[in-house]
Amino acid sequence: MVLYDSATLGGSCSGSSSSSSSSKPPPLQQRQQTQQDIDGLLAGAGYRVRSSELRKVAQRLERLETAMVNSPADLSQLASDTIHYNPSDLASWVDSLLSEFTQPPTCPSEFIMDPETNQTVVSDAWTTAEPHMPQVHQNISYEQQSLNNQLTVVTAMEEDSGIRLVHMLMTCAECVQRGDFSLATSCLEDMQGLLTRVNTVCGIGKVAGHFIDALSRRIFQGIGGGTINGGSAYENEILYHHFYEACPYLKFAHFTANQAILEAFDGHDCVHVVDFNLMHGLQWPALIQALALRPGGPPLLRLTGIGPPSPDGRDSLREIGLRLAELARSVNVRFAFRGVAASRLEDVKPWMLQVNPKESVAVNSIMQLHRLLGSDLNRNSPIETVLSWIRSLNPKIMTVVEQEANHNQPGFLDRFTEALHYYSTMFDSLEACTVQPHKALAEIYIQREIANVVSCEGSARVERHEPLSKWRTRLSGAGFRPLHLGSNAYKQASMLLTLFSAEGYSVEENDGCLTLGWHSRPLIAASAWQAVSDGTADFPA
Amino acid sequence: MAGSNEVNLNESKRVVPLNTWVLISNFKLAYNLQRRPDGTFNRDLSEFLDRRVPANINPVDGVFSFDHVDGATGLLNRVYQPSSLNEAQWGMVDLEKPLSTTEIIPVIVFFHGGSFTHSSANSAIYDTFCRRLVSLCKAVVVSVNYRRSPEHRYPCAYDDGWAALKWVKSRTWLQSGKDSNVHVYLAGDSSGGNIAHHVAVRAAEADVEVLGNILLHPMFGGQKRTESEKRLDGKYFVTLHDRDWYWRAYLPEGEDRDHPACNPFGPRGRSLEGLKFPKSLVVVAGLDLIQDWQLAYVEGLKKSGQEVKLLFLEKATIGFYFLPNNNHFYCLMEEIKNFVNPNC
Repeated sequence: MVLYDSATLGGSCSGSSSSSSSSKPPPLQQRQQTQQDIDGLLAGAGYRVRSSELRKVAQRLERLETAMVNSPADLSQLASDTIHYNPSDLASWVDSLLSEFTQPPTCPSEFIMDPETNQTVVSDAWTTAEPHMPQVHQNISYEQQSLNNQLTVVTAMEEDSGIRLVHMLMTCAECVQRGDFSLATSCLEDMQGLLTRVNTVCGIGKVAGHFIDALSRRIFQGIGGGTINGGSAYENEILYHHFYEACPYLKFAHFTANQAILEAFDGHDCVHVVDFNLMHGLQWPALIQALALRPGGPPLLRLTGIGPPSPDGRDSLREIGLRLAELARSVNVRFAFRGVAASRLEDVKPWMLQVNPKESVAVNSIMQLHRLLGSDLNRNSPIETVLSWIRSLNPKIMTVVEQEANHNQPGFLDRFTEALHYYSTMFDSLEACTVQPHKALAEIYIQREIANVVSCEGSARVERHEPLSKWRTRLSGAGFRPLHLGSNAYKQASMLLTLFSAEGYSVEENDGCLTLGWHSRPLIAASAWQAVSDGTADFPA
Repeated sequence: MAGSNEVNLNESKRVVPLNTWVLISNFKLAYNLQRRPDGTFNRDLSEFLDRRVPANINPVDGVFSFDHVDGATGLLNRVYQPSSLNEAQWGMVDLEKPLSTTEIIPVIVFFHGGSFTHSSANSAIYDTFCRRLVSLCKAVVVSVNYRRSPEHRYPCAYDDGWAALKWVKSRTWLQSGKDSNVHVYLAGDSSGGNIAHHVAVRAAEADVEVLGNILLHPMFGGQKRTESEKRLDGKYFVTLHDRDWYWRAYLPEGEDRDHPACNPFGPRGRSLEGLKFPKSLVVVAGLDLIQDWQLAYVEGLKKSGQEVKLLFLEKATIGFYFLPNNNHFYCLMEEIKNFVNPNC
């Protein structure tokens, strides 16, 4: 979820802005200055253009229009074949369209023929017929805005008891934040009572029940996680699989990441994918098949799958690897698999991945990075450690999919409120699924997330979701630059949704990233990144 | 297209500020890429390019918003309200109490423009516009995400508008005043203005009270070519060619522009005489090529004995209200404010 201010009033620039999210100072003084120069009014319309560049963008728009008028055939090709990227960055979007034209347009933009005198005159046409409004407040200061504004999205529900339940949940959460556990407990009792009068089969009743449970857990069992985090890896995998089947979020994640990885691997013969959470390897058959079909033939594909160790002596990672190898063999893709068992991502060391200097590496993280955000005050935070060794691998691409939510705020009530709205929307979307047992087990999967967000703290709280805007700041600060997902990925994601999902899901483009959400609320965000080379990388580019 | 392209580009540059020119030219360009000559529409590209913003329950500059989706139809309405003076109430939607029991708070049902084809209630330009409406006019705004053409032709947009109006009228939490009524106005720009008119007719026929209509350069037309269309074709961002395309995409197949949806007071239109139709504020931009149709609409209302005020902004182009960087914008907001708060 992009903070309202930085997405719309100022454009979500990569680079530093929000002072609250990153402990590092802004990397480049220059970037900060140019941010102040963004046209605030266009930002409110969703476009990021520097005031100093307005004239240039206008000229390019003019040239483009002239070119389009002069060659309609090119226009229709532009319309159908061109892949568009990041429309918020108007200057680059216009430039990319201009570069598609076969002939550079020759219309001079600074000079026009005055039709009456036939003399060339300097075009200085940006005058208004009426006096300008004063330009005060048109350029927004980010720091100011991001400190004040915080985004929470809600879809209203109207059943009376539903509303009352929400109010009571908020009151209870507020008591918990204040430490007034006796009042919180009596709130809980009231809510349990109200639940009996509310339809708990769907809607607010259902999700409220899970939040009431999570609050109980917190109040009575403490914040250590207990049984919620104690579920076995095997159980987690089952639930994950049903979540995968019941709704399109994971399919979207896999599909979008694979598309980006495929493009990044174009022209490379030795490729290595590092998957931060293998699970059943659901993401990889599609990539293997796509690589098998690519023009020029498939590369040698290595896959390193990271996953938790199996307690019962089975090597489940290896079993998945064998199945994928079987598939690869059947489509003639040379394939090698390696499993890396680790209970926590921060325990993985780069040497375990055995990356070869000659291969192109893709790092794939589906909802894993947020788990590294819990900080141990004694040492480097895990996220910094991991991002740093990812960089040292010099990956061709890093695909990141994360929940688009602000569930890592320090204040409990804020987190609670945000989670209530987020998971209400997610449950709403799940209503569209009618297939059992996928739906029921998917709900348990989500319920565990809720319980973790609400009832855990410290190292037990691993579901520390943060919105795109924060990830952009964090990843840019760690030396990554965005690779934009384009209109082709968008179109294919839309098609996927039409084929496999109910009405109501929507894909949106967000400043080079794609989000999938329910109606107007984005719930999951996919982005792609590349390490900025600064000469100190361990492997050559 | 009338006039050479270069001359036309320079004309439009003279009358709007630079950032406005960039914004509207960008739309023009993007829309050209989306419309196909065979009448089909590249919806994927359109959705990809459209800049969207989510609702925000936390107030920003005194306004908060939230979405409501109708479970049965999937129709989305985005509600914008002024934030409570009591900070403790921020971040929550109170759906149990009316807006006020003493004063009257106007509720403006807003239909965004886009020639029936483009944009959504959550498009950034319209989200921003609705927020400004709330701030400057002291109203609640409900923005309707109606179904668009060519996938959904006439009368879908009107059906959705009517459904939204009924929804708004039946919300107890939108009531205000001592009479505990929802004080509704209909508003829209371009195609939204057209929708507002037709929904108001339906409302009048069903005896559902609408207090006023605000039509911002509403989209009307007709078979014949008017003087303003010929004179201004292509000069200020809009061409007759694209207008024709949008009508062909919206009207039932085989129909022409004298269809009453397009030309309500034309040869196939009807008089509204005797109908309890709301008062209207019709805003016409002097550089809009379809102004003759809008002026004919005003005449049609007058001939039907209906109350109408014309706000003619001589030097305004279409879309002048997207950015608050010109006097037309502030003039418009003042007029709307007075229109919906007649006792202030």
